[in-house]
Amino acid sequence: MTRDKEEKRRSVLFINDHADILLEILKRLDGRSLCTAACVCRLWRALATADSVWEHLCLRRIVSPPPSSPGSSVRPVVSALGGYRRLYMLCVRHLLTRLDRDPGGRWRTSSAWDELQLSLSLFCVDYYERLGGRFGDTAATSSLMFLCKPVNV
Amino acid sequence: MGPSSTSNAGTGKPPPPPRTELDGFLAGAGHKVRSSDLHHVAQRLERLESAMVSSPSHVVSDLTSDTVHYNPADLVSWVDSLLSELTHSYHHPNNSSAPTSSTSSSSRSLPVDLDDLFAIPSAANNWLQPEMPLSQPPQLTVFTTMEEDSGIRLVHALMTCAELVQRGDLHLAGTLVDEMTALLTRINTGCGIGKVAGYFIDALSRRVSGAGSAPASPHETEILYHHFYEASPYLKFAHFTANQAILEAFEGHDCVHVIDFSLMHGLQWPALIQALALRPGGPPILRLTGIGPPSPDGRDTLREIGHRLAELARSVNVRFAFRGVAASGLEDVKPWMLQVSPNEAVAVNSIMQMHKLLGPDPSPIEPVLSWIRGLNPRIVTLVEQEVNHNQTGFLDRFTEALYYYSTVFDSLEAACPVQPDKALADMYLQREICNIVCCEGAARIERHETLAQWRDRLNRSGFRPLPLGSNAFKQASMLLTLFSAEGYSVEENEGCLTLGWHSRPLIAASAWQASPLSAAIAGGDN
Repeated sequence: MTRDKEEKRRSVLFINDHADILLEILKRLDGRSLCTAACVCRLWRALATADSVWEHLCLRRIVSPPPSSPGSSVRPVVSALGGYRRLYMLCVRHLLTRLDRDPGGRWRTSSAWDELQLSLSLFCVDYYERLGGRFGDTAATSSLMFLCKPVNV
Repeated sequence: MGPSSTSNAGTGKPPPPPRTELDGFLAGAGHKVRSSDLHHVAQRLERLESAMVSSPSHVVSDLTSDTVHYNPADLVSWVDSLLSELTHSYHHPNNSSAPTSSTSSSSRSLPVDLDDLFAIPSAANNWLQPEMPLSQPPQLTVFTTMEEDSGIRLVHALMTCAELVQRGDLHLAGTLVDEMTALLTRINTGCGIGKVAGYFIDALSRRVSGAGSAPASPHETEILYHHFYEASPYLKFAHFTANQAILEAFEGHDCVHVIDFSLMHGLQWPALIQALALRPGGPPILRLTGIGPPSPDGRDTLREIGHRLAELARSVNVRFAFRGVAASGLEDVKPWMLQVSPNEAVAVNSIMQMHKLLGPDPSPIEPVLSWIRGLNPRIVTLVEQEVNHNQTGFLDRFTEALYYYSTVFDSLEAACPVQPDKALADMYLQREICNIVCCEGAARIERHETLAQWRDRLNRSGFRPLPLGSNAFKQASMLLTLFSAEGYSVEENEGCLTLGWHSRPLIAASAWQASPLSAAIAGGDN
């Protein structure tokens, strides 16, 4: 009887035993689902908050990055400024929603790479303003607040 | 209504419609009302409404079903008849609204009809209370006929006052300022024409009384600038466009030097540093020279900003050196202070600074432009307000400023996210307005000129235009979609980019390069 039960248990797939498959699945999620996934358990949290997953999310829409700036050269810059997860949360997410809402505007001639560049620039300004806090500048508020304001439809 | 032919002759505007003409809009709806009777009708309608609201319901229903309306096209008498019916059946205390100080109009021979300004009864204030029976979202301005009328009258009064100032009649101008202030209490000064008019009236009163505008401390200016940066896309557009042009100009160079004419908090440079870090071929050695006002209290703000930028550059592995030049004005800067070395590519960046050099003769702009040219820069990025506030005639300047800043404030209201930012951004603009209106001679530094004028000037001084390119345009368009207000537009103008609100360009960005020396010497006055 107990052997049957053991066999049953062994044949059921327990995803936490296969972290590599889990990672592949998480890589295909959108931002919101990824954050939800991070609340499930410690393993999921560790995997979902790893910067590589968020890097994948940010660069997903870029079909072919320019050969002069491969992902490997962008990565140290982004890590220095706070990481891909923060980049997504602060800039990329808002940029994508706003651009999606714009019905056929002229911007569509710009590529996903241009969009990432813009996000990076805004991200850099934010990092710089946070540095201001450390240097005792009391007027350091975030210039990215305009991104958080809901768009008037 | 409106100012007389005196001001019209001066500015060449078409004369206002004659008083007995029918109002066009209402005529389209089938009601014949004279333009001069509009405020009367509005006043009566307002009383009617308050009477209907406060009357018992049976009276109102009797009124609406039993009253016979003769000739509904004649709106004036129809409203009057309704009102008399209501007040007859239910005694409602009428607001006795005697026009205030209308006796003063007869004692002067002013070209404007002053009693027009005062025919607006105090009952008009009721329109501004949000507890109206109609459901309206509180953010929308309730623009009624009354308020629009007052707004238009205020604008006309402002023009008249400006003309008086130009004529030198300061005493009369002063009285008109007082009257305008009284008129202002009847309008919503939180937004729209009321707010802009309020600032202009304040500036005029300072000019008339000779008080002038208090010069701002550099620290205050920096804070206001920062909040203006956050509240609107103008400065972001300026920075991002200039950075893109500089980035493209620095392609292929390993030693680059950027000279910033006004460092402020250095908000422009993080994005450039990051872009240089990611450029193909790796980052160059970047030197930044920031010019700024000397700090009074012993703090070396320039150096602190330099530290911050250096820290950022270090994080992204860009070799960086900073130098601060403290000068109270650009005319005090000498080229040797910048320590430009011959083998580096130089970029000169001026965001809304050059117009300060256009003062009275001897105007410092020519020497400054010539030493800039002497540095042989790869690129000079120039961003300026797209308006002419440097005319000699006060009335023309005033009119331009009124229209320009009305547009800017409109755009701010639509776009601004955070309340403290908006108030401080407003103050930033208010200082500009004050300077344009109150000050003269060397004290007036906000001498904005249009792109066409700058083009002319720079072409004559030995520069040739460098077109900004499609990358800058794409970036600017993307940046705009991030701002939730729909009215902004980026336009391309012969290789320069302008950002505007509803097709009125407000700020223009352009890039320049030194013309080859032989051409400059040979064709001295192109």
